[in-house]
Amino acid sequence: MNSAQIEIQLIASLVAIACAIPGTFLVLRKMAMISDAISHSILPGIVIGFFITQDLNSPLLIVLAALTGIITVVLVEYIQKTGLVKEDTAIGLVFPAMFSIGVIMIAKNANDIHLDVDAVLLGELAFAPFDRLEISGVDVGPKSLWIIGSILLVTITLLLAFFKELKVSTFDKGLAASLGFSPAIIHYGLMSVSSVTTVGAFDAVGAILVVALMIAPAATAYLLTTDLKKMLGLAIGFGALSAISGYWFAHWLDASIAGSITTMLGLLFLIVYLFAPSKGVIAVMYREKQQRTEVSLLTFLLHLKNHTEKRERHVNHLQEHINWQKVRAKTVLDLALKNNMITISNDIVSLTKKGNTFTSKAIDYIITNEDTQIEDMKEDFFLFRG
Amino acid sequence: MDNIAVKVDDLTVAYNYKPVLWDIDLEIPEGVLMAIVGPNGAGKSTLIKAILGILKPIAGSVTIYGNPYDKQRKLVAYVPQKGSVDWDFPTTALDVVMMGTYGSLGWIKRPKQKEKKAALEALEKVGMLAFKNRQISQLSGGQQQRIFLARALAQNASIYFMDEPFQGVDATTEIAIINILKELRKAGKTVIVVHHDLQTVPEYFDWVTFLNVKKIATGPVKDIFNDNNLTKTYGINYKVSIQK
Ligand SMILES: Nc1ncnc2c1ncn2[C@@H]1O[C@H](COP(=O)(O)OP(=O)(O)O)[C@@H](O)[C@H]1O
Ligand SMILES: [Mg+2]
Repeated sequence: MNSAQIEIQLIASLVAIACAIPGTFLVLRKMAMISDAISHSILPGIVIGFFITQDLNSPLLIVLAALTGIITVVLVEYIQKTGLVKEDTAIGLVFPAMFSIGVIMIAKNANDIHLDVDAVLLGELAFAPFDRLEISGVDVGPKSLWIIGSILLVTITLLLAFFKELKVSTFDKGLAASLGFSPAIIHYGLMSVSSVTTVGAFDAVGAILVVALMIAPAATAYLLTTDLKKMLGLAIGFGALSAISGYWFAHWLDASIAGSITTMLGLLFLIVYLFAPSKGVIAVMYREKQQRTEVSLLTFLLHLKNHTEKRERHVNHLQEHINWQKVRAKTVLDLALKNNMITISNDIVSLTKKGNTFTSKAIDYIITNEDTQIEDMKEDFFLFRG
Repeated sequence: MDNIAVKVDDLTVAYNYKPVLWDIDLEIPEGVLMAIVGPNGAGKSTLIKAILGILKPIAGSVTIYGNPYDKQRKLVAYVPQKGSVDWDFPTTALDVVMMGTYGSLGWIKRPKQKEKKAALEALEKVGMLAFKNRQISQLSGGQQQRIFLARALAQNASIYFMDEPFQGVDATTEIAIINILKELRKAGKTVIVVHHDLQTVPEYFDWVTFLNVKKIATGPVKDIFNDNNLTKTYGINYKVSIQK
């Protein structure tokens, strides 16, 4: 690995981490779309900033562009407040308008500035190490590394200081307001951080990847944990992992780094979406199958409880009487046996004492639907878990 | 009359310039257990939110023990409607209850052992201590409501506002909750509850406010909880048999 390669990976990882933090709260606030809006509508801000500063990495440009992001948020909220359209419609109205203003500004001044729309949308991480920051003649590293590093530092400081406020206002806006934590201040604080991060990151990774880096790691983490701190940690980890693996994927394919990182983000999400232990698709399917079996089991036990005649309890007749396919009858029979709920002698099935109590309790639960009753059942049997 | 805990003067609240509460005057005496009743969309939740400064009224004022809400925050606890939050939020029952202590901490300061202890005690009071580490989406509707009540108890306030705390809870939980509210009243606290089941008003509450965009009536249940006020509030002929 040469130093440029290390620098690129470092920049990509810091960008990913800086995006994952506000991203986690955007996802929890169901505001994923707003990051899309911000990332596109900062374009005119960047162009105007570039006219003034002639430097894509100038702090002034970042502030100006971030301001455009905030204006977008305010505009969206204003349109939404009129009550004429919903939030997604308002977002859909505002950001294409802002973005096209930016595109026109670039086109009109194409001769004066070397800014092209492709670079804005996709960024050029590969070139990031060429733009160096020099302090009194000494090369201290790529400019974008310093920019995103500073933004990340501010973001982490704000997160540590206002974690409690962010949490309560994200979970329960009304309570936060009544406790004196103005949801508006927290909301605009989060929007400001998101805007500044987006601007700081876009030069390296482009507008599309910024959105992906904000939303995908948080959405992935959400599927894996039920703890906000862990969700933040996982989102940060997934972001950095995608950044580094994406870099090497691009290196191997000789493809766009930004594109490869986005691919990795998508892949990671897909894997977790399928295999997450409790919220994953496969786990959910498995649980549903299990529940179907459990309901069949209960039906079967109830049948035994209600029928004392031997005829009705003969192993070979169960199928006809309860109307099951062969396979399921066997599964259920095995399950009941394994849990000592039935005994079989001379092919006649009988409920055990345990099976009898269980059936009564379960039926009670189904009729009353009271949770207190099943709390202890959850322990000794698996029927009502999840 | 005793101390006035909450005083509302000429309060008008609007969404998008369309008033949903008109010119409300209301005095809530200290130490009452009061029901706010009225049909859906009457503005019951809006009234509470305006009193708590969550919504800015377009006219009128609210005072808590004679001072604006901003100065009296710590005296007031709030239980929003259960449906107003996302129960899939990644957090535990204990953590939600701890949020009740955030108000006394103020900005930036983090909850410590003392706050945790207050939260655990509140959980114990509502019979939910065993569930403290349970993720909130894994709780039943009644348990979630108890968690919300515990959060309000952890605020250790003088005045409690509760928006439909009996919504979607089973009979056992309803009785458990009302007993806690009655205990609060016994301790001299003021409790204001948005309530839907008119049958239970006389049994649960000693004070009632009828609301439907305007205030219809407010006062002791035994004096004003009658067919006349119910009809005025709900717009149809109402007959309830009141057990005195
Ligand atoms: N955020 C909102 N924006 C616009 N209208 C609202 C909003 N919240 C409530 N309303 C309207 O205000 C009226 C009163 O609502 P609310 O206070 O929730 O009634 P209640 O709690 O008595 O059922 C209703 O007509 C409702 O549609
Ligand atoms: Mg309401």
